[in-house]
Amino acid sequence: MENAISKQNTSAKRKKVIKSTITYIILSAIAVLILLPFFWMLSTALKTNADIFEWPPVLFPKSPHWENFANAWKALPFNKYLLNTIFVVVLGMTGEIISETIVAYGFARFNFPGKNIIFFILLATMMLPFHVTLIPTFIIWKKLGLVGTFDPLVLRSWTAWGPFYVFLLRQFFMGIPTELDDAAEIDGASPMQTFFHIILPQIKPALLAVCVFAFKGYWNDFLGPLVYLTDMDYYTMNMGMYFFMGGVSEAPKWNYLMAMSSIVALPTILLFFFAQKYFVEGVTFTGLKD
Amino acid sequence: MERYLGTFERWLIVPVILTAIAFATYYLLKRHGWKQRQATGFALITPWLVGFIIFTAFPLIYSLYLSFTDYSLFGKPKWVGLKNYIWLFTKDVEFWPSVKITLLYAALTVPIGVIGSLLVALLLNKKVKGIGVFRTIYYLPAVLPEVAVALLWRWLFNSDSGLLNYFLSPILKLFGLGKPNWFGDPKFVLPAFVIMSVWGIFGTNTVVFLAGLQGVPKSLYEVADLDGASSYKKFKYITAPQISPIILLQIIMGMISSLQIFTVAMFVRPTTAAGKFMNQLIYERGFTQLHMGEASAVAWVLFVIILALTLLVFRSTPAWVYYEAEVKR
Repeated sequence: MENAISKQNTSAKRKKVIKSTITYIILSAIAVLILLPFFWMLSTALKTNADIFEWPPVLFPKSPHWENFANAWKALPFNKYLLNTIFVVVLGMTGEIISETIVAYGFARFNFPGKNIIFFILLATMMLPFHVTLIPTFIIWKKLGLVGTFDPLVLRSWTAWGPFYVFLLRQFFMGIPTELDDAAEIDGASPMQTFFHIILPQIKPALLAVCVFAFKGYWNDFLGPLVYLTDMDYYTMNMGMYFFMGGVSEAPKWNYLMAMSSIVALPTILLFFFAQKYFVEGVTFTGLKD
Repeated sequence: MERYLGTFERWLIVPVILTAIAFATYYLLKRHGWKQRQATGFALITPWLVGFIIFTAFPLIYSLYLSFTDYSLFGKPKWVGLKNYIWLFTKDVEFWPSVKITLLYAALTVPIGVIGSLLVALLLNKKVKGIGVFRTIYYLPAVLPEVAVALLWRWLFNSDSGLLNYFLSPILKLFGLGKPNWFGDPKFVLPAFVIMSVWGIFGTNTVVFLAGLQGVPKSLYEVADLDGASSYKKFKYITAPQISPIILLQIIMGMISSLQIFTVAMFVRPTTAAGKFMNQLIYERGFTQLHMGEASAVAWVLFVIILALTLLVFRSTPAWVYYEAEVKR
């Protein structure tokens, strides 16, 4: 009897081991599929022009040419482009995070006539194709004489530009019990004090999530700079990349392009590793709650 | 330095103006008999409201107006009625191919993306050691900038020295086929874009599905286990209905973003023989050729397509989306 039970146990155990082994094999196979392109990007970046077109392709370059990174960087004034990008990212991010926190707080904690309709409209703007408003917006900036400056890229940030982020922050604000506000009020705290000392510390994860998303948004923006920046001195990294790619008829220098791609990808990858928790939290929070 | 200074000054002035508007709104509303908390709440959302009116509502209406005009940024828009639309629908050789490739791209990538990321999420939901490492790796493609993704894939798809053709050519040789010139051949442009998008299904969508799967009450599975239900039945009767609202969200978000493909296409620079994506067409008509009226018309066609498809998906929801609240009633 006992024997039979232990036999059953071992067969169940064996089944479990086989099952988890299969899972590992599938998981690893997909991981390789994901990582191989990354690896290929780095590997190409370290090759000479002649090595690149070797057939069959060489995964590990015989002698890595690290100087490709420096040479690619120096091929265009990328120092300047990086500085421009940082300027746009910092101003845009700051404006967004401040204005979105305020707007989200208004939606989450106060009741006023028409609130639900307005919030619905805010959510609906998420579905609006950016290109529909692009031309009139361009005309506005042109009439203001600001096309060619960074203004069209950064000033809008103050108007809580990202409906997605407002939504995310509102969800977090709603999760804080109002009893906390009341208690603070009884203790004689002003609404401002309540907001800064009681509420804000509680939504830190959401604020960090928005920071991470906004950074990624401004860093990745291409259409904005493409439409609004006319002077090469004002170009951002992505615009630099667009010109670095060369004309339609030119053959791209793949080692340099992959080197630059790795450099452009580095900040968002680093940010992801350090702030993975907030990335994932932000994504799941908005994806699930209604 | 001077290229930053002016922008920085104006960047500092804008919040001052917005604050002033908020305060003015607050006092105005209070004078009209709103309670203090009501007026405060409304005042707090005015920054968004101002931005919405200037940068969304007005441009939306104005672009509709522009689509009925001839306008080249210089001079005044000239009203031409339906001319732009008639031209697009009947004469323009680039319009229908553009609509076709954009719709086909969305029709292929959305189902593949939703089903693929759901399968990957089911896999990542397994309780095995080291799953955290896999989750991190699987999220990587989502954090890569579009520019880098596009250039990387353009290189992977390179017909002579690309890695993809290296792996594919032995298989293709069996069928007597040569190496496909992916982005350079109108026949292969669409498949190439779809393959590229599959790589991106790992990432954001997967993470959302994963969180959804973890939110399904364990007790439901325990009851099913007692009844001896198979894994397939458990998926069909428990998992699928429980996460159906997330599937709906993913379909809609996927549709909206895939119909708006732009940056990737600009960097991949595929042959235009198969058609340009609609957003590329808008950019080209508007900012390269300065036909603002025509560009606005294309933009509005795209907008109507997105709106119609979204409504269609929403109307189908009672048939397959399950909401907890309906049962509790």
